This record gives sequence, C-alpha cells and structure tokens, in this order.
Amino acid sequence: MSTITEAVLTKLDKVVLTYVEDGYFERENEAHSWFLEIWGDEKKFQLIGFSEYLDNFIVDAIEHWNSGKVEVLSSGPFLEQSASNPELPLEAEAISIGTSLILTITNLGESYQQKLDLLQAARHNLLSNEQLEIEVSKRTATIRQREAEISGRLIYAAGFRDEETGSHINRIGLYSAAMGRALGWSQFAVEDICTAAPMHDLGKIGIPDNILKKPGKLTDEEFEVMKTHPKIGAEILGDSEIEMIQVASEIAASHHENWDGSGYPAGLKGETIPIAARIVAIVDVYDALVHARVYKPAMPEEEALEIMASLVGNKFDPELFQLFLDNIQEMRDIRTNILD
Amino acid sequence: MLQKKICLLGAFSVGKTSLIQRFVSSLFDDKYLTTVGVKIDKKIVTVDQQEIMLMIWDLAGEDDYNTLNKNHLRGAAGYILVIDGTRPKSLDVGLAVHDKVKEALGDVPVVVALNKADLIDEWILDADQLAKLEEKLPVLRTSAKTGDNVELLFSELAARLQ
Repeated sequence: MSTITEAVLTKLDKVVLTYVEDGYFERENEAHSWFLEIWGDEKKFQLIGFSEYLDNFIVDAIEHWNSGKVEVLSSGPFLEQSASNPELPLEAEAISIGTSLILTITNLGESYQQKLDLLQAARHNLLSNEQLEIEVSKRTATIRQREAEISGRLIYAAGFRDEETGSHINRIGLYSAAMGRALGWSQFAVEDICTAAPMHDLGKIGIPDNILKKPGKLTDEEFEVMKTHPKIGAEILGDSEIEMIQVASEIAASHHENWDGSGYPAGLKGETIPIAARIVAIVDVYDALVHARVYKPAMPEEEALEIMASLVGNKFDPELFQLFLDNIQEMRDIRTNILD
Repeated sequence: MLQKKICLLGAFSVGKTSLIQRFVSSLFDDKYLTTVGVKIDKKIVTVDQQEIMLMIWDLAGEDDYNTLNKNHLRGAAGYILVIDGTRPKSLDVGLAVHDKVKEALGDVPVVVALNKADLIDEWILDADQLAKLEEKLPVLRTSAKTGDNVELLFSELAARLQ
C-alpha cells in the first residue's frame, strides 16, 4: 500500500480488511488504537466473536459479496465498547473489487456526534409537532363537548313542551352519524350530524300548546300551524358561524321536505334538500315506527321497513334509503343499546 | 451459558434506551438523548434456576428519519415493544413495528412496555385500542424513571424465550 493511501486511511480513521478464508481476514493498513483494543494487532485474524453487531453484519456482507453487486453495503452506525471508549461509534462497509472481498471499519468519531446532534434537533421538532397535534385535538374535543352540551340543554328545554322521549332524540343523532360514516364523511362531519340531528324538532317550542299537545287529530288549520315548526327551528338555529349549528339549522328547516317536492315548508325537491335533512327524514320515521308511543304500539321492523320502502321516491331519497337498509344491523344495534 | 438476543423496538423517544439503562446500570437520565444506529448491552438473568445472558439490542426508533432494518432482527429470540403512554402516535407506530417484526421473525415472544407510567395522569391512549392490545399481547406498565416493572419486563420476556 502506498504511503499516500496509508495516510488517507489514517486520516479517515478507516481500517481495510480483505477476506481470506474460513472467517479469517487480513488487515491491509496500519491498525488504529481503537481497532487494536477490540481486534488485536494480528495481521491475519478471525473477525467473528469480538463484536456482536459486526458478527451479524458479516452475514449480510457475505451475501452481498456472493451476489456480485458492485455497490458498497453499509452496516449503518453502531456503538462498540473498547478499552478506552464505552461507546465507540463505528461503521462497516462491504465491497467487492475484482475477486477481492473487502470489509472496511471506520471510526465515525466527530461525524457521528454531528449526525447525532442533527437527528436530536430533528426529533425534538417531531416531538413538538406531535405535542402540538395533541394540544389541538384536546382543544377540539373541548369545543365539541361544549357544542354537545349546549345542544343537549336546548333539547332539554324543548323537552318541557314536546313529548318526544330523550332516547328517541339520542337515537336520531346516532343513526344519522352511522349514515354519515357509511357515506364516508370525515369524523368532523359525522360528529356534526350526530350533535345536530337531535335538534330537528326544536321549532316545536314555538307551537301553541293547544295544537302541540292536542290528543286527537289536528284540523287543517291547526296542521298549517304545526307545519311552521321547521321554519321556527331554522330561525332559532339560523345565522350561526358554528358549523354544527348550521347543520342543525338545515336539518330543522328541511326534515319535512319530500324527495318529490311534496313536503314542507319550502317544497324543495331531490338533491336541493340538504343531505343531512334527507338522512334525518329517514331515521326519524324508522325510529318513530318501531317504537311504541302513548297513542300507538311499536310496529315490527319488517312491517316498518315495508311502509318506508313504499315511500321511497316520494318521501325518501332512494339512494340514501338503500344505504340505510345496507346498514340496518348498525341501526338495530343502536336501538338495542338505547332503549326507551 | 445460554445466550439470547432480544431487541427493544418502537417509535422514537418512547424510552427504549432509558429502559435498558435502568435495567443494565440502574441509571436514569431525564434528558432525551436520541439513539443513532445500534447499541448492544448484556445482562445475565436467571430463569428457572438457569442463567441466561441477554444480548439486548437497542435499535434506533422509527420516525421520518429512520426505518427498522430487518437484518438487525436476525437471530432475535424475542423483543420488547415500547409505547409511550403520553403519545398516541407511538401506539400506532408500535403496532406497525409489531407487524413488521412478525413478518420478519414469525411468532417470537414479545412483551409490550407501556412506558412513562410515572406520568400516568398525562396518558392519552385510546382505551379501545389499548384494550385490544392487552387482549393480544402481554402488557406491562413501566417507568424507566422510577424503575417500576423494569426488572419484571425483562424477566417476563426472558421466561418466554425458547
């Protein structure tokens, strides 16, 4: 080896070894002190058995040499314990040059520390980002919780006048959320409809008691008054900048609109009816039919679904109704979990 | 003496190196020092009156800058999957690492360390995900800081090694 090559290898803190046979290697240049501390000063020596990490890498190196690949295979950095350094940063490389099978071992020295410092800074950044994400999601959860509480209190207030059960109202939110999930909505949108849907009948708070609580059938005139509850609900919930309240307002305004345009209050038709309202229209009828009320017994689900199927195209959005049927088991689970 | 290779795996900054330091040297440093590359420590444990030399491979954590080198797993008899209870992302990374290791090593013994138990009031792991994990794998709540369950963690794994 030329003096220049020797000097370069010394400068690079690198030791070059050539594979001889049977696990024996021959050192091609002067050994550095760190090398001698681990592998000794024999020129030809058995490499295996001194470094657990290198023993593992030799398996990859032999495979690499046998493959005839020309590129360099690096072991990546590893820390070895020598007599003078408990954490000596080394890196090995396997190279084939002609028929020579070469293994180099380099003391990474300062460059290891530099890499460590860089990665330390980068990982600190990653950690800060992660903590920021956690903080944002905690705050979002708090906002969601507040929204749900406000909506719950509104519904509670309305409950003093409307006789709908709390369980029915909760189920409407959960059925609607299930539909949102089935439609592939974002988690935010699903949470919005889950909180907003129970407020669909909030406008009933503005209907006089003699109509709202009338035990018998409403007269045409009384029914006209009753039909104003979507508008009242939309007014109570209108002009909000909060997305969930906007969804609630849409639902309150349009949950009595029909797919064919025969509904009220605006006579909206097809997809001009907001999708959240089309969903609530379906799940509200389902829940009302399959549960008992003071004025009627619970209907068997099969019969309820038959009635609902007959309303598809007139009252209900056909695609949404099919999606509802596709997810009927989830709806049943909600019913089982939230009993009247 | 029987020698067994085990690996500590998981996301970055979950406390893999700290757990090893606590187990091998009874030391703990609160400052986070990242690991670059691989460091191997040794410690003898006794299982059923038989001494086993554990060769403990501390592998750099998974993140945007480092992915698991499957060659480092060669010959591992088992591994400890470390998850930081205060970081939900470390659970996702841990589960992904677990899948990778299963693919590379097959069904070798594993024990999960839910680390940083000293900060349990700040834990924010998803309860369902945690319950599912506990159904599938042996899980111990550990703290490299206080030493809680650290000896048990390594001896549990050692007891499961073939």
